Amino acid sequence: MLEIVAGGLQTTVQDMGRQGGQCLGIPPSGAQDGFALRIANLLVGNSPGGPLIIRDDPGAAGLEITMAGLKLQAKTDLLVAATGADMGATLDGVPVPRWQAFMLRQGQLLAFGMATSGARAYLAVHGGIDVPLYLGSRATHVRGRFGGFNGRALQAGDILPIGQTRADSDTLVGRQLRPELVPSYGGAQEVRVVRGPEAHLFDGASETAFYATAWQLNPKSDRTGMRFIGPELGFRPGRPRYLIEEAGADPSNIVIDPGAPVGTIQVPSGVEPIVLGVDAPSVGGYARIGIVISTDMSIIGQIQPLQHAAFVQISHDDSVAALKQQEALISESSVVS
Amino acid sequence: MGYFSRHLPGALRIMIYEKPIFRTMADTALNIEFGDETSIPMNFKILALDSAIAADRPKGLLETNPQVRSLGIVYNPLVTARTRLISALCDLIDSLGKTVKLPSRTVIIPALYNDPWSRECAAAFGVRDNMEYIAEFNHMTPAQVIEAHTACDYWVTGVGFVPGAFMSYAMDPRRRIGAPLYRTPRSWTPARLLNFGGTTSTIYPIRVPGGGQLFGRTPINIFEPEQQNAIFKHGPVLAKAGDRHRYVAISRDEYNDIRAEVEAGSYEYQITEDLFDCADYTAWLESLGEPAEKRDPDSSWSTE
Repeated sequence: MLEIVAGGLQTTVQDMGRQGGQCLGIPPSGAQDGFALRIANLLVGNSPGGPLIIRDDPGAAGLEITMAGLKLQAKTDLLVAATGADMGATLDGVPVPRWQAFMLRQGQLLAFGMATSGARAYLAVHGGIDVPLYLGSRATHVRGRFGGFNGRALQAGDILPIGQTRADSDTLVGRQLRPELVPSYGGAQEVRVVRGPEAHLFDGASETAFYATAWQLNPKSDRTGMRFIGPELGFRPGRPRYLIEEAGADPSNIVIDPGAPVGTIQVPSGVEPIVLGVDAPSVGGYARIGIVISTDMSIIGQIQPLQHAAFVQISHDDSVAALKQQEALISESSVVS
Repeated sequence: MGYFSRHLPGALRIMIYEKPIFRTMADTALNIEFGDETSIPMNFKILALDSAIAADRPKGLLETNPQVRSLGIVYNPLVTARTRLISALCDLIDSLGKTVKLPSRTVIIPALYNDPWSRECAAAFGVRDNMEYIAEFNHMTPAQVIEAHTACDYWVTGVGFVPGAFMSYAMDPRRRIGAPLYRTPRSWTPARLLNFGGTTSTIYPIRVPGGGQLFGRTPINIFEPEQQNAIFKHGPVLAKAGDRHRYVAISRDEYNDIRAEVEAGSYEYQITEDLFDCADYTAWLESLGEPAEKRDPDSSWSTE
């Protein structure tokens, strides 16, 4: 078992999310950076689960630590690995390596500080966090108050159950992600998108500007939506009367429509594109200039407030190639001991 | 003219595309867009296709999300190529006959209109009483708004947004009322408040931000994550696309009684299930000369 000593800014139990909720308004939830959680699980000998949205298996549940502040204590010896954002984690005051499995001994305190690069750290525990499955997943959806640990973010005093462990788990100590595969979260990030279904509603100069701008993440961003600060985007003139009647007078309004489960980029009134995250609504009513490819939702999840990011347009075929490439990396061949 | 005709016969001219458009939503999703307006007859086609997919699911297709004008699809591109999936979906679309009947439930929704929570919420955000505004916008009295809202069924075109939320529209166009969304959305709304966003009538399932005009509260849960009541045994969401909602006005005492039963898990939800005759309904709409000509499909907004 793990005892939470301090919950930090927002720490939740997450796996690779729910399926089948799109027609119920239930978002996939799960890790915002699926790559980091899956690698963490792989390092500690858990099932990494499949990719976001299309996974067969949600994989083992771990902790998603947002920006800062989680402190926890082991009630028993546990094999763990921390991946994702660098929060200067320490074990009884001694720094621990990221992207590497180590033993958290009974009574030891694991503490995460402020994120210096990246925005979300992940902690996997050998055996997985054993909260009940809800609609096929252990992922927390805080706004809906379900899944995870009592449907909420973790607080001091919470005791998390751990699933079945193997007696020889200490033989996995030292397993680490190949150093060349460790993502870099600093500097300007590039996020790949496929052109969206309403890209043609924007005026040409604005669509060009969308890809040419160094956008900055608005601090008012979360797992529902990441907003980006930058130039205002304009729309083509000549909005027909029936659309004004059906959807509203604002040129960004469209008749209500299903989005992609994650990654949809809406631009309400042309101001601050919003990339919908893993907790996002299943329908929308704003013009979508592009859709972030599923693999790059991991990058989106690691952008810090006010950090820069650029959107790069790719084809659908290239988005599938990126997914294949990622899936090849979620394997033992990426691990060294 | 194919099945997805641009013009339905008679007076019913609506903005339905000649052929549905397949929209790429990056690598794992696509939308099949049938048109770009809010139309119950168009929604019949979408729900018919959704049923056909459920009965004969193309390889790699994982989820569907039927909404008023399009069907969202989630698929695994590592199992099927987008082109292959589209071809399977086109075959299903071609195999659909004229949509005659759809399975549809009638769900009774008791509602306390002109409730104190809606008033308090409006006051907290410094806007006028929403029911008064709705009445004025529709050139009615509040009593007439309640009369209109309880006088006909509301067709649920799709479920979604937040868990358990849905979109529904008055099935009798003569009874259609509504009001524009707030210009600046509220940061919170109490759960279970009835509201209008344009002509969409819906209920907030949980405490959420929102911009709908508030006019009543239901004591029944439309989302119950604990799945305590037997009606939620198979899932936490009450509404289903293709449901017909019927609102019934109740008193404050009745509200309190029903709420107590709902919280105890003993409330008996009033739901009946049958087949809905879409062809009859569409013919009836036409006989009303509805909708009045609102737009010219030939001057349509180019879609690509």
